[in-house]
Amino acid sequence: MASPPTLYAEDPAWQDVVPVPQYEGVTPLAPIFYTPEYKDATDYFRGILKSGETSERVLELTERIIKMNPAHYTAWCYRYKTLIALGSNLEDELRLTDVYCFKYLKTYQVWHHRRLLLQEELDFIARCLGADTKNYHTWSYRQWLLAYFNHPQLWKGEVRWVERMLSDDVRNNSAWHHRFFVVFAAGQGEQGPEVIRREIAYAKQKISLAPNNASAWNYLRGVLDHARVPYSTLTAFVEPYTLEHDKEGEASEDVVDLEDPPPAKGAELPCALAIEFLADVHEGEGQEGVRRAVELWKSLANEYDTIRKKYWEYRIREALATQN
Amino acid sequence: MSESPEPLPKLSRNGHALHCVRCLSGLPSSQTEMDASRRLALVFYCLGSLDLLGVLESKSTDSDRESWREWVWEQQATGKYGTGFRPSPFMTGAGSKPVCPLPPPPRWGTYSDYDTPHLIMTYTALLSLSILHDDFSSLDHPGLLKFLYHCQRSDGSFCSFPNSTESDLRSVYCAFAISSMLDDWSGIDVPRALAFIGRCRTYEGGYGQEPYAEAQGGTTYCALAAIHLVLSSHSIPSSPLTPAQRAQTIRWLVHNQHASGGFRGRTEKDPDACYCFWCGASLQILGVKALVDSGPLTQFLAKCQFKFGGIAKAPGEHSDPFHTYLSLAALGIYPPAVPEESWKFDSLDPLLNAREDTARWAWSKIPLKARGRTS
Ligand SMILES: [Zn+2]
Repeated sequence: MASPPTLYAEDPAWQDVVPVPQYEGVTPLAPIFYTPEYKDATDYFRGILKSGETSERVLELTERIIKMNPAHYTAWCYRYKTLIALGSNLEDELRLTDVYCFKYLKTYQVWHHRRLLLQEELDFIARCLGADTKNYHTWSYRQWLLAYFNHPQLWKGEVRWVERMLSDDVRNNSAWHHRFFVVFAAGQGEQGPEVIRREIAYAKQKISLAPNNASAWNYLRGVLDHARVPYSTLTAFVEPYTLEHDKEGEASEDVVDLEDPPPAKGAELPCALAIEFLADVHEGEGQEGVRRAVELWKSLANEYDTIRKKYWEYRIREALATQN
Repeated sequence: MSESPEPLPKLSRNGHALHCVRCLSGLPSSQTEMDASRRLALVFYCLGSLDLLGVLESKSTDSDRESWREWVWEQQATGKYGTGFRPSPFMTGAGSKPVCPLPPPPRWGTYSDYDTPHLIMTYTALLSLSILHDDFSSLDHPGLLKFLYHCQRSDGSFCSFPNSTESDLRSVYCAFAISSMLDDWSGIDVPRALAFIGRCRTYEGGYGQEPYAEAQGGTTYCALAAIHLVLSSHSIPSSPLTPAQRAQTIRWLVHNQHASGGFRGRTEKDPDACYCFWCGASLQILGVKALVDSGPLTQFLAKCQFKFGGIAKAPGEHSDPFHTYLSLAALGIYPPAVPEESWKFDSLDPLLNAREDTARWAWSKIPLKARGRTS
């Protein structure tokens, strides 16, 4: 195979492009004595910039320039623009930049280019999830991507984005899981008491809108377990959800408590998940508490959650056994 | 006591068996993608269903079964990463099948980098051959251990084939199941793999397919079955699960039973027949199968029966061998308390996911040390 021409000026495939030489002024200061190859490539690159062409050969040209000068930020920028315009495979591009990242660890442009690619990838995943909101592979790919590249810039928009997913569908457990992943499991956010309070408040808010939503309760339990906050701190919030609507009606004259939002009007009450939660609170309170927990479990077994009758009876046996 | 308001229809055993026999004899071209990825798995689900229904012998001839064994053995291949089974001959050239003179050539071919054996397929091959009562005299034990070794990654997980980046809890489970069947754990680094399983656990109490992924019924089964396979081999002294973790996992599993009786794979999703097995077997592994009411579970599976045979993932959907097998397996664990004969099954081994007799066959015939045989 004949080797390709080393200069674009000699390459018939590029004869339609008008090269634009670098303007150096009349008496250039600190001139850099470029190699003929570099000068040739950048002349043609400036020509491309002028015409605005985005094509495969532009990818080849920018790669050649970057190889000679990885700090050529315009080449990186235009390369990114071309990749997007061509709808190129960004994973391939990442693999390609792997090489440069190793070679030119101190070159800011390489990392910036990767960040842009990853941001684009996150946007792409978001579009996929728009079409199939619970696709397991798509979600785990997003989680892998975030954890693997682990960059503040990538994590930045995640909480806000997942909030949008949850306001579209509050029962999307994949989105709840993702929220936990971002805030607690792997994300780089602050994890102080302020964040714990914010997440508990968020879960409460979502529970008040749709109380019979196991995803929100599991999230609430997950946050409490993670932060070692006792379930009993939520008794005041949970109790109204364990009662029939008419009893709740008496309390509705009270000022609406933003700390402990009440169940939405029309929600199906009592809520089995709230009864379960309250029973867990009571179970931890000792003898008198266990007695009350047993009553709650009985109500689940016999009335409010009969599909799990055997499980609730098991909880009763276990609690009574550990007490003796 | 559960009251069943609806009368339980019959389990259409014959229809389900015929569905599997049909699939074994040929797939339409619309199933081409099955070839590269899962053909051997499909064979396993079909054979397994016939085994669970107790009709393998009556629905096939001796020569059928001999040719099935032959086909599975043809997928065994050896190479630089050891020996395992390929999903199907999809990358094997047409001329490469030996024109079989007597005595037969060694029962394994070689592979290149593009048709390496596959970990999950190797597990299904060993179980399929156990169902077919093979004597495993053709199994390359040292090659298999070498293959396991090459599939394990530094994070403890296993890839489905050497140097692939595809690694998740399913492969971990298969590596553990193969080690258990070989009764030889020297091919894998158990503590490292257990640490990987631990990292797949989520705040809900289930396990995702890889670290950071959402808890899912199938991968939770893989995690629990793997842990208990190694526990039963006495390679580790006690379960890595704390009592609190165990309680949380039980809670998550029982909460996955939907009011319709079927199980779902993830919180707030729709029930699906296969999760009756994945979640139900998980509960059995944790020693609490009594917590599941088999009445509603059976009602749900009865509704998933497809009118032309086979069981579908949900009522009104089309059947496939995967959901047929796993539904029947679930019934092996949770037989309904009804006198109706059609719902009676032999019990199932939840760790290997096979009829108890078949699992016993695997554990007694596959290990090299149990054989005392010279080759
Ligand atoms: Zn399914």
